[in-house]
Amino acid sequence: MGELEVRDLTVEFDSGGYKVRPLDKLCIDADDGELVVLLGPSGCGKTTLLSCLSGLLKPTDGTIRFQGIDVVGLAGAELGAYRRKTVGVVFQAFNLLASLSARQNVMVPMTLAGVGRREATDRAQELLERVALSERVTHRPNQMSGGQQQRVAIARALVHDPPLVVADEPTAHLDHIQVEGILMLLRELAAPGRMVIVSTHDDRITHIADRVIDLAPQSSNGHQADVDVELSDGDVLFEQGDRGDLVYAVVAGAVEIYRERFDGSEEILTNVGVGNYFGEIGPILNLPRSASARVRGATRLTAMSVRSFRKRFPMTVADARKPSV
Amino acid sequence: MLGITISDLLYRRRQFLIATLGAGLVFAMTLLLAGLTAGFATEIDQTVGGFHADMWVVKAGSSGRIASLAPMPEGLAHQVAREPGVRSATPVVVLPQTASVNGGLQEVNVVGAPVGSAPARQPLAAGTEVSGPGQAVVDARLGVGVGATIAISGRPLAVVGVTQDRTLLGGSPNVYTGLRDAQAVGFQGAPIISAVVVTGVPTSIPAGLARFTAPEIERASLGQMATAVQSINNSKLFMWAIAAVIVASLVYVTALERTRDFAVLKALGASSGKLYAGLAFQAVLVALIAAVIAVVLAQFMTGVFKQPVDFPASAYVVLPLSAVAVGLLSSLIALRRAVSADPAKAFAG
Repeated sequence: MGELEVRDLTVEFDSGGYKVRPLDKLCIDADDGELVVLLGPSGCGKTTLLSCLSGLLKPTDGTIRFQGIDVVGLAGAELGAYRRKTVGVVFQAFNLLASLSARQNVMVPMTLAGVGRREATDRAQELLERVALSERVTHRPNQMSGGQQQRVAIARALVHDPPLVVADEPTAHLDHIQVEGILMLLRELAAPGRMVIVSTHDDRITHIADRVIDLAPQSSNGHQADVDVELSDGDVLFEQGDRGDLVYAVVAGAVEIYRERFDGSEEILTNVGVGNYFGEIGPILNLPRSASARVRGATRLTAMSVRSFRKRFPMTVADARKPSV
Repeated sequence: MLGITISDLLYRRRQFLIATLGAGLVFAMTLLLAGLTAGFATEIDQTVGGFHADMWVVKAGSSGRIASLAPMPEGLAHQVAREPGVRSATPVVVLPQTASVNGGLQEVNVVGAPVGSAPARQPLAAGTEVSGPGQAVVDARLGVGVGATIAISGRPLAVVGVTQDRTLLGGSPNVYTGLRDAQAVGFQGAPIISAVVVTGVPTSIPAGLARFTAPEIERASLGQMATAVQSINNSKLFMWAIAAVIVASLVYVTALERTRDFAVLKALGASSGKLYAGLAFQAVLVALIAAVIAVVLAQFMTGVFKQPVDFPASAYVVLPLSAVAVGLLSSLIALRRAVSADPAKAFAG
């Protein structure tokens, strides 16, 4: 058991009336002092996971334990204290307050926690020196480069010397020179007494990580033999939000494609009959299924890899227009 | 949190300056309207006080409004003078009239009293008091000086003196003449008067007459302006509403622009209460600065009005208190923004 233990973490939310599940029974572990990288494309749940870890989002289900604290169970003053003392957050868009100088931005969490002005000023100065910005303490965000702003944001995340620092795509808005500086800083911060968790879709960062967690593992997409599948009326082949490698063609019977609405109702998108296929977009783009598939009557399907699908069904413009899952 | 709030205010200083000036102008108008209302009471107080009377004896059934007293025979003044407790009894005429002044027409209040009597002696800014027929002392608002001639009901009157702040009915200047001139103007020379002003306290009065103390005359006369006062008070309410809308617009736009800031501040540990307190502080500060601007502006804007404008001391207490109320009410519109700010939104790229 590590210092961080995430079990069966599930987050569901309403997206335009449809149920979206960016995290589905996620389990991860990490140890003190590690630089953990959450890898995956946009929409795979990296930011959602960081929001849960930092106590800003309540998951639908599952548990998070950090240093023995049941993060999901925190509420009220305890949750506020966890946010202020245990976790430091570095946001993708820096999120510095435009009206404040670099030093004042770093002082904000201390000001909110009631730390005296003198003490907060000294601490902010010390942290800005640590991130090599002692010459820029009085500059406002619009007077600094993206890399400098991100370093201010990192300094702000460190004011309470938190044992957990989470950084959401910290290099997303930076050029390669600035990226290097930020990565080295994050690497340096991950040391005994502090765990740093960084989300990114840039796999270059994985080379300096102690642990890499891929939230959207690539589907095999390799060659595998087609398989016949026989199903009975009402059987659900896959559900919205599932990940899968296979595309299906209907040999006999029919398949109903539907979406689950957030209120629990269903919206029928289409019925796929004999000779037609479904479920190709998820495997091709490495995305979760955007709809569910349910069999109508006794049905026989051919399950195939993306490569096999491409051979059997060369894509046309007309195909691209049909509802895809 | 106060430091963050003030920094934000300075950062958006242009927005705040424009809103403060706008609210300041509206507050100045509000202050002027309060001054106008108070001016009605002040002019009545000064005019009635100028009669130096303890008691007014008028025809029974008269409303007591100084500019619309029912006419009564002049001879009653002698009967009143004989009543026990009366030290002096002076017949007076008070009549709203139209005067021909410098080729134009102007509403005036003719006040007639025997030459040399107490009601005829008004504090003068220039010239002398009336010493004979065909003479008048006029208020400076009439716009003529000593030596000019005005005409009322075709009767020429030579201006021999000028008073200050002697008006009625919302700024109509008083014209003080001898009693006979006033009777000639209003009653074709008939021995008719409007009231007998008395010093001392009569224990009884002749039948068919009624008596009013000077404060009663003032209260009754102010009733004549009730409609105007009501209209002005309603306008004041509109002005407060406009000021509230101006400040509320500023605070709401600020809250909209700071949605991301609110989410970040909440993610960093700020409570909804602290965020709202910051917005409320900004709104109250804007309203209070606007109130200060209003006090200065109002002094320059009084010249726009013909009516007397008298800023009561209470207005300088009510204005900042009302400004605070306007600020707090205005900030309520942004309350939802502060409370509903989702700290998880700080993660949005």
